[in-house]
Formats: sequence, structure tokens, C-alpha cells
Amino acid sequence: MPYSELEEPSRADHLWRYTSWKRIHPSGQFHEVPKAAKATLSLRSLEEGGKTDGVTLEVASEEDLERLAVSGSSDISTQFLRAIADGDAMVLRVQRKARLDSPVQLDIECEGDICALHLLVDVGDMAEMELITRISGNASWVGILRQGRFGDGCNFNDVVINQIGDGRILRTDGLYLGRDAQIRCGAIGSGSSRCKSDLRYTMDQSGSSLKVNGSILSAEGMHNDYHVEIFHLAPETYSRLNWHSACAGKSRTIGTGMLRIEEGAKGADAAQLFHNLLLSKDAEADSIPELEVSENDVVGCGHGTANGPVDDEQMFYLSTRGFNEPQARSVLIAAHLNSTLSEMGSTVVHEHLLHSLTNDLSTIM
Amino acid sequence: MAENTDARDAVGDYRYGFHDPENHTIRFDSGLSEQVVRDISALKDEPEWMTELRVKAYNHFANRPMPTWGNMSMLEDIDFDAITYFLKSSNQTENDWEDVPEDIRNTFDRLGIPEAEQKWLSGVTAQYESEAVYHSIREDLEEQGVIFLDMDSGLKEYPELVKKWFCTVVPYADNKFSALNTAVWSGGSFIYVPKGVHVEMPVQAYFRINAKNMGQFERTLIIADEGSSIHYVEGCTAPTYSTDSLHSAVVELIALPGAHIRYSTVQNWSANVYNLVTKRAVAHENAVVEWVDGNIGSKLTMKYPAVILKGEGAHAEVISVAYSGKGQHQDAGAKIHHLASNTTSKILSKSISKDGGRGSYRGMVQVSKKAQNCKVNVVCDALILDEGSRSDTYPTMEISNPTCRSEHEASVSKVSDEQVFYLMARGHSEEEALALIVNGFFEPFTRELPMEYAVEMNKLMALEMEGSIG
Repeated sequence: MPYSELEEPSRADHLWRYTSWKRIHPSGQFHEVPKAAKATLSLRSLEEGGKTDGVTLEVASEEDLERLAVSGSSDISTQFLRAIADGDAMVLRVQRKARLDSPVQLDIECEGDICALHLLVDVGDMAEMELITRISGNASWVGILRQGRFGDGCNFNDVVINQIGDGRILRTDGLYLGRDAQIRCGAIGSGSSRCKSDLRYTMDQSGSSLKVNGSILSAEGMHNDYHVEIFHLAPETYSRLNWHSACAGKSRTIGTGMLRIEEGAKGADAAQLFHNLLLSKDAEADSIPELEVSENDVVGCGHGTANGPVDDEQMFYLSTRGFNEPQARSVLIAAHLNSTLSEMGSTVVHEHLLHSLTNDLSTIM
Repeated sequence: MAENTDARDAVGDYRYGFHDPENHTIRFDSGLSEQVVRDISALKDEPEWMTELRVKAYNHFANRPMPTWGNMSMLEDIDFDAITYFLKSSNQTENDWEDVPEDIRNTFDRLGIPEAEQKWLSGVTAQYESEAVYHSIREDLEEQGVIFLDMDSGLKEYPELVKKWFCTVVPYADNKFSALNTAVWSGGSFIYVPKGVHVEMPVQAYFRINAKNMGQFERTLIIADEGSSIHYVEGCTAPTYSTDSLHSAVVELIALPGAHIRYSTVQNWSANVYNLVTKRAVAHENAVVEWVDGNIGSKLTMKYPAVILKGEGAHAEVISVAYSGKGQHQDAGAKIHHLASNTTSKILSKSISKDGGRGSYRGMVQVSKKAQNCKVNVVCDALILDEGSRSDTYPTMEISNPTCRSEHEASVSKVSDEQVFYLMARGHSEEEALALIVNGFFEPFTRELPMEYAVEMNKLMALEMEGSIG
């Protein structure tokens, strides 16, 4: 259903409870679909001398759109992002059986007032690689829609880093997992004044495995609203969602998760965890980990949340080792975020992400 | 109310499904209007402020749309025009059981109400359709100044006390069904426990819908003054008809500093009753409020007992269990609002879904900016016993103070084959083994109930488990 035929979502809908559509729409005018500049994309190996063989970035064809842009047919953010991209889409294609030794970085540079990108992800069967997508730039509004499929038996690490300046970002993912695919997805947020992310993963083939990790750093007046939805439609599927946030200043961090186990998804094993570290009296953290289970023959489905301040005992321990208070605090925040960061990929990817996060920590905390 | 030809099939062997011939003294025509609301108020000879409050609430109800969350398809089936909003079966509230009309007495005898009172309760209110038909309180409590009346008598005898607290915890505009209740409320309990008085034995209310297409809208207000304590127990049943009934109650609890209120419910409405209830408490300094909530019956239950922790050091606890069988949706949960420092709360929710039933936990925990050093613990466990059944959890945690420590955990699983095997190896049949496991699963709830209710609850669950194998 195109955007023009959809109704403005109500705040009774939990997806829009904390960030109304008006607050994330570029102009706040529901019916307006403004003109957007195109994001600049570039692909490179993360390591010097590394190769990107088997990975291409090209303009999407009609056939690509038909095959890969299938998620969110009645979802307002998906349809809005398709409308604002005005039919243009790029496709990141990974060849069947492609095996990349070095991680690949996709840079998405967003400049201008309003900037949008519709990116299709087409990962071939049995491909193996790590992809880091870095979204940066100084656009005042950024919209990113990623749709696509991870092929059968592929082994893929997919990390997205949001390092937008002070602008707002609306990010939506609609990704499908092939049979026996093993996917690790990571979201790192330390940029943008307002972020609304709606990440949806569908496991419609048996035997797939998905780990979604989030490391979110909020400071000053940031508003970070992440929604992660994982659908288990096929038997013997496995998922874990692990979300760590550190909230400072007057920031607000929202983590909503939905694990849906449909009837027939026998042997499904799913769990989600939200951990929030509250660092200031004006920060707020909201967690809504939801479960909908329609299959009785499951290995287990669970969720949990924990909120709390920096642990006094840990602070004391570090102070006895010579750390002053700000240093000890910074180390504990980094450790909190690092526990999910370290799960996002290989050692090379982890080192890269940690370096990036440490820089952000020193800049914004 | 939508005709439900499968209702008898749906309610199965519901043990309270008997019904007596309707023998009412006043029955309003079905449907709701401002005039109906005014007529109810006039019939009860209420003060003007109550009539005006009812009318305001009615207008709010009429203009407010149905909720856009929860089981909307079931909610849409409610036909408000087909409901009878007031039906009076007895001319007055009796204090002597022998004075209650025989047909009503028979009903409650079959439910065991006077027997329970004789054995161990401090007081009993029995409500049949819209109004209380029987009421009794132990003399020693009366002497200590404990007021335990049906709500209509409470308004007549203590108008100032009722006016001071009525609608202060659940405003009429809180939600569509609280507005409906405020407009047409009838019956319910009014309790005031004076300072420092401890009501050692539980007091009990029993609610029964007997007539077809009946709406029951009782209103309960409990005020526990400083340092006092009370345990209130309520039970609910209805007969089985092929058309649906509506139960939409409002319960307001006020625990003043240092008071302790425990409110226990075993809800076993027949599976053609919509049970849409608003229950909320305010806990002042160092007060304790506990909701112990069992939901076995009804077609659709939407009930989220809430506690507002308003005073420093207050504590809230909600223990709830829900059983969802064929055609049932138990949408239950809890809400805790931490407004003051050093407040603590604990939620334990357990649900079982069977025969295509759906159990949902919907919860909210809020910790406000000013509430320092709060502690929150939420645990939800669900068992799905067969194919086609469903379990959902929708918890929300909103934490605005960095000194708060909150934990939430939930799990959905099936009955472990190993547990069943273990029990069968000790000589139990598979069905018995399942019933034992289910009773064990609900044990944290039943151990908080008075003994008779706990036994009843275990029997009910054993009955529900019958025929679950093969």
C-alpha cells in the first residue's frame, strides 16, 4: 500500500508511543513527501590491501525491487522511505559463495537538508563476509531503508554505525534470512539528535540463526528510539537480541523488542535482553521487550530487562587502582557497551568498532 | 451482545453454570442513555453530586471510542444496547441469611457463601445482579469502628466519607469502562478500617450474574486508615447462556500511611462474560498494597491491577495467574507507578494457555524523576500446553531516575517431558502428572490465598486439566 493511502499512526500503537510520526517526519506534515538529496555511497575494504571481490554496488533493477523490496507493505516508515527515495534504489550484491577475508566498509555520506537512501541487500547463498555500514554527514534529516535477503547457508556479519551529526534519522530494515543462514547484526548509535530505527528480521526458512546486538550511547538531548522485531516463521530457528544502552545528559533511550513465534515454528529458541545504564538524573530509559508465542513446541522464549546506575563497588574497585572518578566512569561505560560490541563480529571488526566508540565517548560524554 | 451459538460448547463443564429462574423486582429495559443513568440514581435516592458525576461519566463513555489495543475483534462484539444496566432481585440488603429470597439463597448456598462465613470470614457481602442481597460483619469489628457495607449503603450512611474518596484513585475519564462503571455503578463494597485496627480474618464479597445479557457494574472502595490492615477476598461466577454478559467493575483502594491492604480475587466467570475491570490503589508512606489476582473464567478479561506508590517507603506486590481455555483471552497484568523515593515493587505473573486459549501479560512499571532508590522486580512465566494456544507478554519499563534498580524477566515454555516422566514413574497417570505440574506452576499464587480458596483453586485447575491428554 503506497504512503499516500496510509493513515497517520496513533500513539496508542506502541511502535509510535515514544516518537510520534510527526516528530520524525522531515516537516511534520503527514501528507508531505519532500524532495530528498541522494546519499553518496562508497565501498572499500576495512584493511589496507584488502579486497572487495564478489561485492558490488549498483543501481537496482525492477527485478531487484520486485524480489528484494518485499517487507513492510503496509508499514508507514517503509512506505514513506520508498516514496521519498522516489523509485531510486541501490543494491549491494554479494555473490553466491563469495568469501571475503577482510571486512568491507560501506560509507553512506548524507549531506544537504534532506537526504534519503533505499538500499537493497542481496547476499548470495553460502557467502561469507563482514560488512560495516557507516552512516555519516551533516544532513538535517536522513532516511535509510534497507530491504533484502540473506541467502541460504550464508554466514554474514552486518553492523550499522550511526554517526550522523546533529540531524534526525529514520532508519528501517526489512531483512529475510535464508535456510541455515547465520547472521549477526549490530547497531551502534552515537550520533543524531533524534533517531527512530525500526529493524525487522524474518526467519521464514528453517535452521537459520540470528544474533542482534545493540550498543547505544546517548548524551545531551539525544532521543534514541530503537524497535527490533524478530519473526520466527519456520522450524528450528534461533535468535538472540542483546541491547545495551548508556544514557547521559537529558537523553532518552527507548528499546522495544518483539519476538513473534508463529504456529509451526517448532523448536524455535528466542530470547531478548535489554540493559540500560542511567548516568544522569535527567536521563530516561524505556524498555518494552514483548513476546507473542503461538507455538507450544518451543525450546524456549524469554526476555529480560535490567536498569541501573554505574555500580558503586566497581567504581570503588577502579578508584583503588588509581583511576579518578571520570576515568573510572568512562571505563565502566565503555565496558557496558563493549559487551555487545564484542559480539558483533571478528576481532578486526571489534577493534575497529571499539576504536570508533572510544572516540565518540571522549567527544560526547 | 452478539449471539454466540457455541457458548455452551465453549464453557464446557463449567461448574457454576447453573442458573435460577430470573425473579427480579425491577428490571430496566436494555440499552443505555442519560435517562437510564438518572433513573438508576433516582431509584437509589442518591445525593445530587453523585447523579451529576454519573451523568458526566455517561457523556464521557458515550463519546470515547473503544480501545485501539488489546483484543479489538472481541471488544467490537460487545453490543452495549443489548445489555441490561440495572436489575434488582431483592428489595433490600439482608443481614440475616434466612431473610434473603429463597432462590437467591439457593444460588449462594450452592456456591458455599454462608458456609464460608460461618467457618472463618470476618464479613461477607453477596451481590446478585446489580445490588447486594446479603451483608454481614462480625460484631467485634463493628465495635472497633470497621465499616463494611455494600457501596449503596455506604453512600447513604457515610456520604461525606464516600464523597471524599470516590473517583479519586480511578477518575471516571480514566478509560471507557471506568466511565461506564461510574455512570451505572451499583453494589460493590465500601470498607473503612480505622487507624491502627487490624482485621485479622479476611472479609469476603461474592459477585454473581444470574440473568441473561446482564451487565454487572459493582464499585468497591476500601480505605485503610493509618497503621491498619485488611484482607479482602472476592469471587465471581455466572451461569452459562448462549448470549454474552458484561462485568465492568471499578475498585479503588487507599492505603494511608503504614496501612496494609491485600485484595485477593478468584475470578471464575463463565466463558461468555466480558470481564473489563479497572483496579487501582494508592499507597501512602510505608503502606503496603498487594493484589492477588486469579483469572480462570470469562471470555475476555482485560484487567491490570495498579498501584500508585505515592508515599516514601511504600511497597506494592502483584501476584497474578491466568488460565486461558477454549475461546478465552486472558489479557491481564499489572501497573506500578513509583512516584516517591525508596519505594519497592514486585510483580509475579503466571499464565497457562490450553485448547486454543490466549494468555497475555500486559504490564507497566514507571519510575518518576523524583523517586530515588526504587527497586523493581518483575517476573512473568507462561506455559503453552497444546498446539493452537498462544501466549504474549507486553511489559513496559519507563525509568526516569538513575538510582533505580529494576529487573524484568519472562519466559514462555512447554511442560517438560522429563517432569511428566518423573511423575509417571511414581505411579501417576499422564493427566494427573500434568495437573500436578500445573498446580505447582500456580503455587506461588495459591499459597497466598486463604486455605479454602487455595483448595478450590487447585480443584478448579484439576478440572480444567481433565481430558487434556489424548
